[in-house]
Amino acid sequence: MKRVLVACGNGIATSTVVASKIRDYAEEQGVSLSTNQCKLMEVPGKADDYDLIVTTGQFDGSIGTPIVRALSLLTGIGQEETLEEIVGYLK
Amino acid sequence: MWNVVMTAFNWLIDAGATVMLPVIITIIGLIFGLKLTKAFKSGLTLGIGFAGIRLILDYMTSNIGPAAKAMVENIGVELDVLDVGWGSIAAVTWSSPIIAILIFGILATNIIMLIFKWTDTLDVDIWNYHHMAIVGIMVHYITGNVFLGISASIVMAMTTFKIADWSQPMIEKFFGIPGVSLPTVSATSSLLIAWPLNWLLDRIPGVNKINFSLKDTQKYLGFFGDQMIMGLILGSAIGALAGYDLTAILQLGVSMSAVLVLIPKMTSMFMEGLMPISGAAQKWSQKKFKNRKLFIGLDAAVVVGNQDVITTALIIIPLTIALAVILPGNRMLPFADLAIIPFRVALVVALTKGNLFKNLIIGLATTTALLYAGSITAPALTAIAENVGIDIAIAGGALLISSFAATSLTHSFLVFLAFTGNLFVTMPIMVVVIAVSWYYFEVIKPRQQERNAANVKDDAGDVTIEQSN
Repeated sequence: MKRVLVACGNGIATSTVVASKIRDYAEEQGVSLSTNQCKLMEVPGKADDYDLIVTTGQFDGSIGTPIVRALSLLTGIGQEETLEEIVGYLK
Repeated sequence: MWNVVMTAFNWLIDAGATVMLPVIITIIGLIFGLKLTKAFKSGLTLGIGFAGIRLILDYMTSNIGPAAKAMVENIGVELDVLDVGWGSIAAVTWSSPIIAILIFGILATNIIMLIFKWTDTLDVDIWNYHHMAIVGIMVHYITGNVFLGISASIVMAMTTFKIADWSQPMIEKFFGIPGVSLPTVSATSSLLIAWPLNWLLDRIPGVNKINFSLKDTQKYLGFFGDQMIMGLILGSAIGALAGYDLTAILQLGVSMSAVLVLIPKMTSMFMEGLMPISGAAQKWSQKKFKNRKLFIGLDAAVVVGNQDVITTALIIIPLTIALAVILPGNRMLPFADLAIIPFRVALVVALTKGNLFKNLIIGLATTTALLYAGSITAPALTAIAENVGIDIAIAGGALLISSFAATSLTHSFLVFLAFTGNLFVTMPIMVVVIAVSWYYFEVIKPRQQERNAANVKDDAGDVTIEQSN
């Protein structure tokens, strides 16, 4: 099972929305994954334990794990493409 | 009929927040068109979140309360207002008996303003409505007048949507996110201090040239951004200042670390519960306004990952603790909300375009205002928390609670003052201030920008003009 870390400003608000959209979409696609949430500031310390990082905002830190920016999952514009990109990393 | 409604309502209030919350949220969910099972599950999730917050607050106050008291006796700093974090205050807000009216009042304000084209910000991020709602709840508590409470929340909403409109170009330019505005009071409130102060700093000869950057801030101060470590350090420090022995110091350190990690976990239950309602509102409104170009109102969480924001916040966090000790008359002991300082400085950073010198000056002015407003409004906030069943009073001495959210925010504090003061004086002042700001941002500023744009065309090399627009 792939592990996804969803990060936003406080690890609560927008990351909850994004994590649940990713879980729903992955379930539809038959991809099994688990999500965790954290604050953007905590990403560098945790990134190594995950297969993919999804952020709701700007993150410029350098980490080895691939990152997807998922603002579209909040605004709803371009949502499908971003979800496909995310699942693409996890197949 | 009316009697039946009132009896049911009173029974709900008597039953307490854990019962009332699921019922109220289920009703709100049904109004937004959710299925009964989904609405009920939303409500129950919020009820569980509230129960969780209450457990942690009990744990927190019973551990740190006596330590704070001992610290006061030991070294003589009078910090008896505990910062329990915005999440705890949001839980209190959502548990208010008048929350449903306030939520619909705020939503209706947004829709009416959109219809009349008074705003371009579509804000259906129901979650963040709690910042506007708490002002109404505080005003209702102080004045006993529901109408004034609702009006206060509506004024909060109107001004928040306008500030979101006015700050949108800045957010698009600095953070590079188009089509989005941030009607998150906890972030935009700082602009009330930052706009005038930035203007002033730009006009002081010499000062307006200062800028510097600090390398490796994140390497050395990064632990201030890590909930676990920060809880451990702060808890241990308070224990040490209280004169505890080593065992007790470490016990307090670990339990405060636990508090800082667990509060967000409980708060996210609130977010989870509210998500289906927010989703339904978003779908509905985007269909209604689909032919218009709107800014989608998002939580400011989308911009706080910026490196300049993080650097500024990491420096401001320890300085805020120092300010709390130094500032005469401050009673707030900063704690749980040190973690969300990035939200308080995010838009300051965008305004100064990342000038670290100005960020620190304005950031400190902002947190000073937070500490004072938080101290002043703590008694009312504590009483409201007690009304919804959070028992703060600890054995041996009264402890008050506050946070860096609610009426500690400059914007919320000013609206709160306007509605709880002598209305004949404060209402005209409030109307004039709003009208003048509106005129400045919608009439004067666009004109200035047009003129500047024309000037820049004439003389493309003139740097000062480019900077001032």
